[in-house]
Amino acid sequence: MNLLQRLQQAHYNSTAISAGADISYAQLITQAVQLRQQYPALQHQAIALSYTDLSTFTCALLAFDGWCRALYLLPDNTLQLPEHVIRWPENTPAGTATPTAEPTHWYLATSGTTGTPKWIAHSFTSLSRAAKASVQNATLHWALCYQPSRFAGLQVLLQSLLSGAVITDCSSGDSQQRYSLMQQHSVNAVSATPSLWRQLLMTAQLSALPLQQITLGGEIADQPLLDTLAALFPAARLLHIYASTEAGVGFAVADKRAGFPASWLNQCHSNLLLKIDAKQHLWLKPPQLPDTRLASAVDSDGYLDSGDLVTIVQDRVVFLGRASGVINVGGNKVHPEQVEQVLLQYPAVRQAKAYAKASSVLGQLVIADIVVDTGIDSKALQAQLVRHCQQQLERYQMPARFNIVSSLVTNATGKLSRKADVKEPHE
Amino acid sequence: MELEHTIRQTLDQVAVIANCQLIDNITDDTVLLQSGLDSLGFAMLVAQLEEDLGIDPFSQMQIAVYPRTFAEFVGVYRQALANGN
Repeated sequence: MNLLQRLQQAHYNSTAISAGADISYAQLITQAVQLRQQYPALQHQAIALSYTDLSTFTCALLAFDGWCRALYLLPDNTLQLPEHVIRWPENTPAGTATPTAEPTHWYLATSGTTGTPKWIAHSFTSLSRAAKASVQNATLHWALCYQPSRFAGLQVLLQSLLSGAVITDCSSGDSQQRYSLMQQHSVNAVSATPSLWRQLLMTAQLSALPLQQITLGGEIADQPLLDTLAALFPAARLLHIYASTEAGVGFAVADKRAGFPASWLNQCHSNLLLKIDAKQHLWLKPPQLPDTRLASAVDSDGYLDSGDLVTIVQDRVVFLGRASGVINVGGNKVHPEQVEQVLLQYPAVRQAKAYAKASSVLGQLVIADIVVDTGIDSKALQAQLVRHCQQQLERYQMPARFNIVSSLVTNATGKLSRKADVKEPHE
Repeated sequence: MELEHTIRQTLDQVAVIANCQLIDNITDDTVLLQSGLDSLGFAMLVAQLEEDLGIDPFSQMQIAVYPRTFAEFVGVYRQALANGN
């Protein structure tokens, strides 16, 4: 069943998108049917959609899933499209085509946080696997914090649509502007990266939102952040989700603790098999691979290397960071995420980013950029931070320098931007 | 003397971060390897001096002989700064 059929069958009798003017589910369906009639020539073609506004984009998804052969969701940075792909609505050909019953392939771009972005094929079935409809979920009003042309944003949009909830686009502007939109629309469900949650917490107004659903994803959810959110919203459902664009939908952790239970390694969880190899990489085996081109990255048992490094601490599997992001200090491996987590445990530190600096002596050293509470004595803080870090980090993991910065850059997917972090000496 | 003062100050800062126990009295003749600074502390010192002085003489292979004593280390920086000007 495609997206339009799912919504036609659900008969949601409520608002779907809350923006300047609210749009109901019935209106969405009518407009999508009209779009199909308006563009018969697009049937069985591969088309590319750019994000302009939530209503137009959602209508196009409804219209063209199950209608076109392929949907490329264009991220805001320019990623090369295959030649046969038609950009909608600007380059639409005339004429009609003959129908077949092939399900639509959805193409999503990876975030490229640490590498070059690339297109990954999905199906509506695989993308909607995690969306849960329930009476309670239908009462939610979601804030869309990421562009829905990206995996994370699309997940939130599909969850909202398929459960009959309301969604408002809060994906642009700084954290204060996003917060204001959330408040204006009485949003009660937010899914965001830990980086974005920290920025929202810095508005110091977050507790005014009537949050019932809190979701963290896309980066490592650390315990202090989970504790802060749980304390602010004790009654809310607090989830941190693990998913990758490559592997498709992953799993959700609901017990408000960082990492996931080690017992999940020995059993199938959320239709997913998990294992850890000798190099501490986490491998996933989804029910079906979203993209056949990933076949070469799959081992003989059908597992896909997530590229995430993990370790087992007592009964938990905890995330250390990306294998590709490891800093090498004289042969010792440092996970920047681990250093960041230690920095974030310190109360005055609101945001943290650890990265490599080229060293003529040891190859690389760790440097930390931090955002701290205003009005703090930076010299005293530096000394306290050094002591705090020394208690929890190995010597080679210690940041050689703490730079106090006013903000940290996050990319289009809400994650800390980690590209071009390695500074060459004498650039 | 100003350069030596900067280096000494940076050395003290870095020793705290790198958790190195420096010997009490570092003189011109103190052998670096016996000053209490290990390779990590040394790397951090060079990195911090690059920040403070804008040069890293060790990255450009400007030096033929590695400095053995504290005075030689200061000399490497003095020479590099002079070459840069």
